[in-house]
This record gives sequence, C-alpha cells and structure tokens, in this order.
Amino acid sequence: MSFQLKNVSKTFKNQDKELKVVKDINLTVDDGEFLCLLGPSGSGKTTILRMMAGLDFPTNGEITENGGPVSGPSPGRGFVFQQYSLFPWRNVLDNVAFGLEVKGMETQERYENARNYIKMVGLTEFENSYPHELSGGMKQRVAIARALANDPQALLMDEPFAALDVQTRHNLQEELVKIWQEELQTIIFVTHNVDEAVYLADRVVVLSRLPGEIINTFRVEIERVRDRTSTEFVDLKKEITDVLGY
Amino acid sequence: MRKTVMALIIPIIILIIWGILTTYTGLIPSYLIPSPYAVLQAFENLITNGTLLTDTVSTLIRVFLGFMVAALVAIPLGILIGWFKIADDLSGFIIGILRPIPPIAWIPFAILWFGVGLGSAIFIIFLGSVFPILINTIDGVKRTDKVYIESAYTMGASQLQTLRKVVVPAALPNIITGLKVGIGIGLMCTVAAEMIGSDNGLGYLIFTSTSMLDTASAIVAMLVIGVIGLAFDYLFTRTERKINW
Repeated sequence: MSFQLKNVSKTFKNQDKELKVVKDINLTVDDGEFLCLLGPSGSGKTTILRMMAGLDFPTNGEITENGGPVSGPSPGRGFVFQQYSLFPWRNVLDNVAFGLEVKGMETQERYENARNYIKMVGLTEFENSYPHELSGGMKQRVAIARALANDPQALLMDEPFAALDVQTRHNLQEELVKIWQEELQTIIFVTHNVDEAVYLADRVVVLSRLPGEIINTFRVEIERVRDRTSTEFVDLKKEITDVLGY
Repeated sequence: MRKTVMALIIPIIILIIWGILTTYTGLIPSYLIPSPYAVLQAFENLITNGTLLTDTVSTLIRVFLGFMVAALVAIPLGILIGWFKIADDLSGFIIGILRPIPPIAWIPFAILWFGVGLGSAIFIIFLGSVFPILINTIDGVKRTDKVYIESAYTMGASQLQTLRKVVVPAALPNIITGLKVGIGIGLMCTVAAEMIGSDNGLGYLIFTSTSMLDTASAIVAMLVIGVIGLAFDYLFTRTERKINW
C-alpha cells in the first residue's frame, strides 16, 4: 500500500488554546517500503501515524492511500499501539482472532488463521494464556500477530518496542524485519530511537520538535540482516543523531 | 485463619458487653435492648414455628425481583448513556435529581401505581437498586481505555461490535460493582417495601414485632438481613476479583 501526505498540518484545540503539532508534511510512502518516522518525544510523529490510520484527521492538507482518501480506520491498515492494547478478557488466540471474528469468519477457520500468526511470532504454546500472564515483549508480539491476522496491506506501528528492555527489543526488531520480508507489507514505524530506525528502515524521516516538520530524510542502504557494529551503521547513526540535535 | 479470628474479635467484645449490660447488671432494661439470651430464644422460636424461613425466602424473592428489574433496566441504559454523549447530556440532570430521593418517599405512588402487595414492594426495591447499577455502568463504559476501542476500530469492528465485544466486557468490573452496591441497597429497602401490603418477610417481621415490643425477634430479623447482605457482598467481591482488568 502506498501513502501520500500533502501539506498535512494538525492543530489541537483545547478550549481557547491552540497547539500546532504537525506542520506542512509532504511525504510519499511507496508500496512495500519500510519507513521510520524518527523524532524527539513531542514531535507530532504519533499524530502523523494516527492520521494515516484514520484515528485522527488533518486540520489542513490531505492523506491518501493507494490514491483514495483515508476516511477512517480500516483492517487494511493494521495498527500496533505503544501502550499494551490486548483485550485483557480474551486469551491470546481470541485476541488474535478478533479482527476475523468481527468480519464474521467461522470459529474453526478463524482459529486456524490466528494460529498461523501466533506461530509466526513464536507464541504457539501461549495461545490459551491471558495478557496479564505475558511479559511486555510477548504482549507486543501478540499485538503484531493480531494486526497481521487481518491481512493488512500496511502496518502502522507507534513505538511498539519503547517499553521493552534492549535484548527483547533487538529480538523483536529482527523478527519484524523477517516478517516484513516474508509478507512484504508496507510498514510505517514511529520511534525516537536512532538505532532502531537505522536497524529497521529503508528510509528514515527525521522530524523536528513541535510543531513537527520534516527536517531531513535518510535512505538506509545497508544490507539486511544489519550489523550494528559495522562502520556504515555507526556512521549513519551518528549522522542522523547530529541532525536530530540530541 | 488469622483474618477470621481478627474479624470475630469485635463482635465477641460487643456480645460480651451487651450480655453484661443487659443480663448481669441490669443497667439496661430488657424493653430497651433485649439480652443476647432473649434474642437466641426468639431465634429458636422463629425457627421452630417456621416463620423465619418463610420470611427470609419471601424477602429474598422480593429483593431478587426488584434487583433483576433494576439490572435489566440500568445495565442497557447505562451502556447507552455512557457511550452516546447525547444520551448523557439528556439524562445527567434528571438522574441527578431522581437519585437522592429516598425510595421510601415513593411509597404513596407505589401504592397508587402498583396497588398494595408484591408490585409495590418490587418497585421500592427497584428504586433502591437501580441508581447504583446505572451510575457504575455509565462510569465503566466512560472509563473504557481508549486504546481498546481504537484497537477494535483498526481491526474493522463496527460501532455496535465495539460496544458489544469491547466496551461491555471492559466495563464489566464496574457493572459488577454496581450490582454489588445495588443488591445491598435493595436489601436495605426491604423494611420500607414490606410496609405496603405484605404479610410476611424480614422487614414485615421487624416492624410487626417491634410494634408488639418483641424487640428480640426484630433483632433476629435484622441480623438475618445482615447475614444475607454479607453473603451477597462476598459473592460479588469474589466475582470482582476474578474479572479485575
């Protein structure tokens, strides 16, 4: 799925206060691309992602997917939230099968489908577990499986690994790249972590502090699986960090 | 075990002081507070002649009926009000006015509308139960974590599906709390409810025996209401713990 953002701005109104969080974003995301939106906290990057998901709407400008306007949320654009978002009253299997359930798929068929995605994220043994029985990393794995189960054309991810420890985060990043290579969906991944962006993305879009504007774009042409210790990786990280002004 | 012992300390102290004051010292005359022994005798008497069982059962039936009607009205209404802002705006003021009115104040209208008997009793208990269930349901629906609702939408759920499969289960702990408070208040209304045309029930037992200065029997009925309330509370609290998300 391709996306196009034309002169997108977003202003939040709170009583008589106005806060401009996103300013004049022009961006094209190609079909099958892995794009990272990188910015400091409070750079409107989550807002941009939410607008692409149809969970928020631009104050000015327009967003299109495959040429048509984004008018609301759709299972074709899977979303993985930063907070843990699994339904605590459903076990892993029923969480992952939720999208298929609301689509009206028969129980047998949707469980079969859901199990494939649970297997993809390596949690087959936990299909009957409830979210409170899972670690943070496992919860986000399930959240990814849950989004993938709807067979989306794009996956929108809002700092999904931010709360995880480094080791778990690295494992999940590696798995995500694998999943992306197998399934070839478009992925738009929001992060404030330079290392994560360079590891994952085809292209890194760097945003400024509020109101979020694009200040630079980097194409990452390092071959996957990427080696974090290689000079090109380290150099690019440094270059992006300088732009960010950390 | 330790908790059970701790919980019994104060009741036992009360019982001892009560016994000393009423029996051994005679400081308090028996028509003001009957002695524990007199209460025990009244209890035995009410058991053997079968009235306590009949009264308990008929009170339980009334409370259940009033409570069920309250739940059937308040839960759907609460979901509606909690979800649709317009329903909230329309109903907030009127609920705010109706809620503080004591159910007992409705007795004349209960008689006019439902006649003397079961209908009126159910109506009074309904009035006691309905508001806690309603308020807690509204609250639970409103507090549903936005991330659950948005997750459902991004997975293609319609508004109705989101309401049914996400908002209602998310609000369930609050709804259970509402039911717990609701049945408790319903039980508190039994005396008022049974003042109208009932010829049995624990509330009926309380005010008939009091009017005949048989305070011992009244205390028996009061304690039975207390025990029933405690049992309901225990059941609902256990359910609450199970579904605490």
